Amino acid sequence: MISVRVSGRSIPLDPRFAWNVLRREYANTPLALRAWFAFLLALMGIGALGALRALFPGDKGVATTPTVEWGLLIVGYVFFAVTTSGLCLASSLGTVFGIDRFRPLEKRHAILAVLCLVTAFGVIAIDLHFPVRLVFGAVLNPAPTSPMWWMGVFYAGYLMFLMVEVWSIFWHHARIHQWACLLSSITAVIAPMTLGAVFAVLEARAFWNNLFTPLHMVAAAFVSGVSLLAIVFYGVGRLRLVGWERGVALAQPAVRGLLTLGLLVLGLLVGRQLFVGLTSADVGLRSSTQLLLAGPLVPEFVGLRLIGGLAVPLLLVLLPRTRTPAGLLVAALLAMVGVFVDRLTFVEAGQLAPVTTVSGVVSTPYAAYSPSPVEIAIVIGAVGLVAFMYTLAERYLDLSESEAHVMIWLPRGLIARVSGALPRPSLPRRRPAPVAVESAPLDIAPLESETSAVPDVAQTPLLPEFDDAQQTTPDLTVLGAPLDQALVDEPVLPSLTPDDLALPDEVEPEPASADATDEQLVQEGG
Amino acid sequence: MTDELETAPPIEAVEPAGAQTAPPQGVLLVPISRRQVLQIAAIGVPCLIGGGAIFEALTAVTAAPQPEIDPIVARYDAAAHRWGFVVDTVACIGCGKCVVACKTENGVPLDAEHTRTWIERRTVGRDGTVQVESPEAGVDGFAHAALPAAAADGSVSQFVARLCMQCELSPCTVVCPVGATYRTADGVILVDEARCIGCGYCVVACPYGARYLVPAGARTPTGVAGVADKCTFCYHRVTRGEQPACVEVCPVGARKFGDLNDPGSEVSVILRDQPSRVLRPELGTRPRVHYLGLEDRLA
Repeated sequence: MISVRVSGRSIPLDPRFAWNVLRREYANTPLALRAWFAFLLALMGIGALGALRALFPGDKGVATTPTVEWGLLIVGYVFFAVTTSGLCLASSLGTVFGIDRFRPLEKRHAILAVLCLVTAFGVIAIDLHFPVRLVFGAVLNPAPTSPMWWMGVFYAGYLMFLMVEVWSIFWHHARIHQWACLLSSITAVIAPMTLGAVFAVLEARAFWNNLFTPLHMVAAAFVSGVSLLAIVFYGVGRLRLVGWERGVALAQPAVRGLLTLGLLVLGLLVGRQLFVGLTSADVGLRSSTQLLLAGPLVPEFVGLRLIGGLAVPLLLVLLPRTRTPAGLLVAALLAMVGVFVDRLTFVEAGQLAPVTTVSGVVSTPYAAYSPSPVEIAIVIGAVGLVAFMYTLAERYLDLSESEAHVMIWLPRGLIARVSGALPRPSLPRRRPAPVAVESAPLDIAPLESETSAVPDVAQTPLLPEFDDAQQTTPDLTVLGAPLDQALVDEPVLPSLTPDDLALPDEVEPEPASADATDEQLVQEGG
Repeated sequence: MTDELETAPPIEAVEPAGAQTAPPQGVLLVPISRRQVLQIAAIGVPCLIGGGAIFEALTAVTAAPQPEIDPIVARYDAAAHRWGFVVDTVACIGCGKCVVACKTENGVPLDAEHTRTWIERRTVGRDGTVQVESPEAGVDGFAHAALPAAAADGSVSQFVARLCMQCELSPCTVVCPVGATYRTADGVILVDEARCIGCGYCVVACPYGARYLVPAGARTPTGVAGVADKCTFCYHRVTRGEQPACVEVCPVGARKFGDLNDPGSEVSVILRDQPSRVLRPELGTRPRVHYLGLEDRLA
């Protein structure tokens, strides 16, 4: 029988085995989770129907016209793509800079980022009439003049870095993980900026054609990614999922701080957009801005973008009464809807007010576009897919925190100052899990002799219980240079013995009483 | 362990008896069950089909863009020409025959939303407001369309024929992510329908609204739905030494086409002797379509 070996366990590739595992798993799944899976599967089914309908080139069942050629599917792609970047931007504070309160985001953000980016690619593939040609055409006929080509380059690289990040974190390759985190965090800035440039270079579209478009894209990415993390960590705390203690004590306040910051920046950018647009001498820009405030996009822009997606969440994260997990959840949900609507109104406003006749159609004063059921179904399915896959990850993967693999140390004083300004968490610092070091024994330097000579910065009166400046892991370098030992307050694994570092010879089989063996499962079906 | 060795049957006992049944030396025979054959087939057949599809796609995207040139005019030297187009807005009567000719000649969809060339009537009122109309892309002319109210008070109204400007600095060729839209040596911008991915970026990027994605249906100019399409100056005709269809049918000679490299061609003479203008010059796209007699306020 053909079999694969996963984590030292031989898993037969057999339909009966798979069926038995599935059956057993179904029986062990709580009813509420079953209902949740059923709901998400229904969403995915709706999306699959929409995707099937959209497979035919030239007849995709979408509501786009030559005047409004980019519709809801492009918006969906942009939304998922920027959300990916936002996830990395937010968690880079933990993964790259090693700030302890952002460390709980590490594994969850990586999985979400991969899922969101793959979903974004899926949505754009459905939107394109000939997606396979893009893959080969972009490689074999590079078009470096096109921002869309560069977007493909950066997002493809981004996906690669993210996959390496996920692989290295679960397989404990510390050094590779450091680099993957650094590279994916850098790409998390470059990729959405290039996505912004796709719009910003078009002189034909005055609403998009400015330098703030890429910046706005990054800000939207940040808010969207942070909101998704807030939603996930609400679930983590509420359902007492793995690592919930630090998730509630550290991640939620940290995410709230980031969301506040992101909403403020995004608010400033939206304000600039409106001010410049309304006072511009450019007919196209003025006309597009007016349609946001007094045209067909008013309900979306004013209702969902300005009030629902910006003002209300900002109040929720700022008011003391609503600074609760539930308040954060509502704020994050609203902010996420706000970002989606923001990208929707951005894409549509650039097209609904064309200053020219397009392919024989005069659009006076504004063109019309409302998404078709196929487009809506695909976006719903995409949301369902991300939620479904993430729920699977939450259920079957070990999402407990791993060792810190920090690449760049921030100045100690800066972190202490920022930490002082943030609400003080009540939880003690994380204790490292010994399993994470097994594949990187060389990275762990003996530090006891050195740390004793260093002034003890751990006991600063600023933060007696918790200080981000106190980094936790010893296996760290500043881009390859030796770590400033003043930042290390204690050896993480003082009792590390050679036995701890040795790789296990073989993985012990699971006890038969806890779970059926593979052979048993195969035989059940037979 | 010793017991196992002792109780194990001799090797000869499990070998198939008889020398004639043994496989010949050097030939590897692997016993394979019917289930394994099916498993291999289940994996192999989709792989073969997928590989074939990838090969097809590769051949399509790696082939150099080749405009369809009639063998009769195989000697056509694109580099020797520089095509130009002149629209006389004073002469145009808005009959719409050019629109019909274009759709007929090029197999353009008959609906008004997908058009390579169209006629619009631009009216400017005394207060400077401009009104643009193009009923059904002007395919039936404007005889049945009353002048807008703004035109009644002595303001100006003109018919403006629209088509791809074949810009020298074309945004569409710059933004195409796979190089499917390209400029020939004679300055005409074409679309390679075997390479276009249907992303719509060129449609969005065109400041003149000259592009659309071909809808599926009975009429597709290139025979492929889902790809970008636009006016080609009737490239299949001009490379045979003919005029574009719209130029040929215009009853009043409002559309003129010719070689700007030839100083004696009609378009060269007109552009040398008469003032002309291009649409949206502020974008710096340097269109090859020039307009005669276009009012300042309507440009």
